[in-house]
Amino acid sequence: MAKDIKEPAVGEQVLIRELAQLLVETGLTEIEIEKSGLKVRVARNAHITAAMPAMMAAPAGATPVAVAAAAVEDIASHPGAVKSPMVGTAYRAPEPGAANFVEIGARVSQGQTLLIIEAMKTMNHIPAPKAGTVTQILFENGQPVEFGEPLMVVE
Amino acid sequence: MFDKILIANRGEIALRIQRACKELGIATVAVHSTADADAMHVRLADESVCIGPPPASESYLNIPRLLAACEITGADAIHPGYGFLSENARFAEILEEHQITFIGPTSEHIRIMGDKIEAKETAKRLGIPVVPGSDGAVTNDAQAQRVAKEMGFPVLIKAASGGGGRGMKVARSSEELASALSTARSEAKAAFGDDSVYMEKYLTKPRHIEIQVFGDGKGNAIHLGERDCSLQRRHQKVFEESPSPALNAQARKKIGETVAKAMQKLKYRGAGTVEFLYEDGEFFFIEMNTRLQVEHPVTEMITGLDLVIEQIRIASGAPLTLTQNDVTFSGHAIECRINAENPKTFRPSPGRITYWHPPGGLGVRVDSGAYQGYRIPPNYDSLIGKLIVHGKNRNECLMRLKRCLSEFVIDGIETTIPLFTELVRHPDIANGLYDIHWLEKYLSQP
Repeated sequence: MAKDIKEPAVGEQVLIRELAQLLVETGLTEIEIEKSGLKVRVARNAHITAAMPAMMAAPAGATPVAVAAAAVEDIASHPGAVKSPMVGTAYRAPEPGAANFVEIGARVSQGQTLLIIEAMKTMNHIPAPKAGTVTQILFENGQPVEFGEPLMVVE
Repeated sequence: MFDKILIANRGEIALRIQRACKELGIATVAVHSTADADAMHVRLADESVCIGPPPASESYLNIPRLLAACEITGADAIHPGYGFLSENARFAEILEEHQITFIGPTSEHIRIMGDKIEAKETAKRLGIPVVPGSDGAVTNDAQAQRVAKEMGFPVLIKAASGGGGRGMKVARSSEELASALSTARSEAKAAFGDDSVYMEKYLTKPRHIEIQVFGDGKGNAIHLGERDCSLQRRHQKVFEESPSPALNAQARKKIGETVAKAMQKLKYRGAGTVEFLYEDGEFFFIEMNTRLQVEHPVTEMITGLDLVIEQIRIASGAPLTLTQNDVTFSGHAIECRINAENPKTFRPSPGRITYWHPPGGLGVRVDSGAYQGYRIPPNYDSLIGKLIVHGKNRNECLMRLKRCLSEFVIDGIETTIPLFTELVRHPDIANGLYDIHWLEKYLSQP
């Protein structure tokens, strides 16, 4: 037999607000807790997309990577994105100790070397696909890169 | 033991290799094309490297990109799976030069068995019975006519650089022979870059029976029984079982010992399959595959040996897990290869799997990288999974297979499951009375 409660007490309101905030922060759709005879359930209408089963299949540790991957994917579709044409190690400068090919803000002409990718002892110059300004540099010196990975943005 | 293995393949076999590595505590690197970024094994692997756009030549077959991926991940071994570079002697050689272990045989053995003429001569030398035919390449029409007359028609013209069911032409009479030869040559040149051909007697109702072998590279080798793979469409296997309904224990022991001895003499290393045509109680060698085969799970189910783990152990220098006396065969196993194809026209059906419910229960195994929501890329072969069942005997196995096929749901694409549903109900299949022409005949009926 539930006790008729006309309005939640102040403490309970705080709890409900906290739970609601937790829902938003974690992306959960429902939380239910029970403590000292008080049971609270907060839920929100969530749009179940076909992506859900796929995400559940991924191991827990992969989630941060998935978020980072989504961010990277957005940059990959940027019209000025310079994507890696190969697998290897990306370097900012022609050799250790030398100045970087470009920095953020640099004006580059079409074909100008932006970075080097080394694979199996061969150095491959990666050229700017068009003239413009380097607005983003998306890799660290000496970072391994894969095919299609966005390296810089030239706008 | 290796610290990190790079899986140079895709689809269900890549997932198979991923699983074996995980059970051995070995870190994995999944290389993939852009089309396979969502593949299940890529998601499960410890690291992944995108190595190129969809075309295999720019990704899975691209040796520089595979080596670069090894370099940036520090992988110390590569498992090539089947297909792609698994029987590419040059790839094995290059890895040897770079001190990356190629999980498989030596480049020398790959090369010997890759040239089908040399493979046959080698088999003969090792005491393996072969199909009667031209001794070596057929270089002119007069020689061809002579050889054909000696063997009797019909004859089969085969590309020396072919294999896997490709590059073969039948000639039923001496009138047909000349044109069959020239067609075979030009097709071989186009497909394999080499127009060398040889000839063999065309057996009319043989079964395809192959023997699984394992060697440690130091002169020890064992056989793990046979698989009957006679049900084929366009020379591609669709249904495999072990033991073969055609062999008794004595016949199995005899051919097994012959093959094991040959592999001992050869000092073969790793997994291999010696394929035969079997007719009227006689075995005839056709080729040897120096790699893991698609249908390897059938052997795993009846022997209890994990063949991929064994491959990795052998490649790391460990001895064979089993001696021949340790090998036991238990029960019966059948595998159905499930393709994303229309079950009647076999037209490929790539697309998104909207509902995926595989069968389960005792003795049921599904090897597949597919999942609900997975989009099958159109760029590769249509194999999406293998259903393997095991039973105490062939009857139980067939009942289990019938039950599994009725439970298996794959919506959103067409698959060949309905074909298998028909096949398991056919009396010839139930009785094990089929040969390598059976399926084509069955499919050509209205």
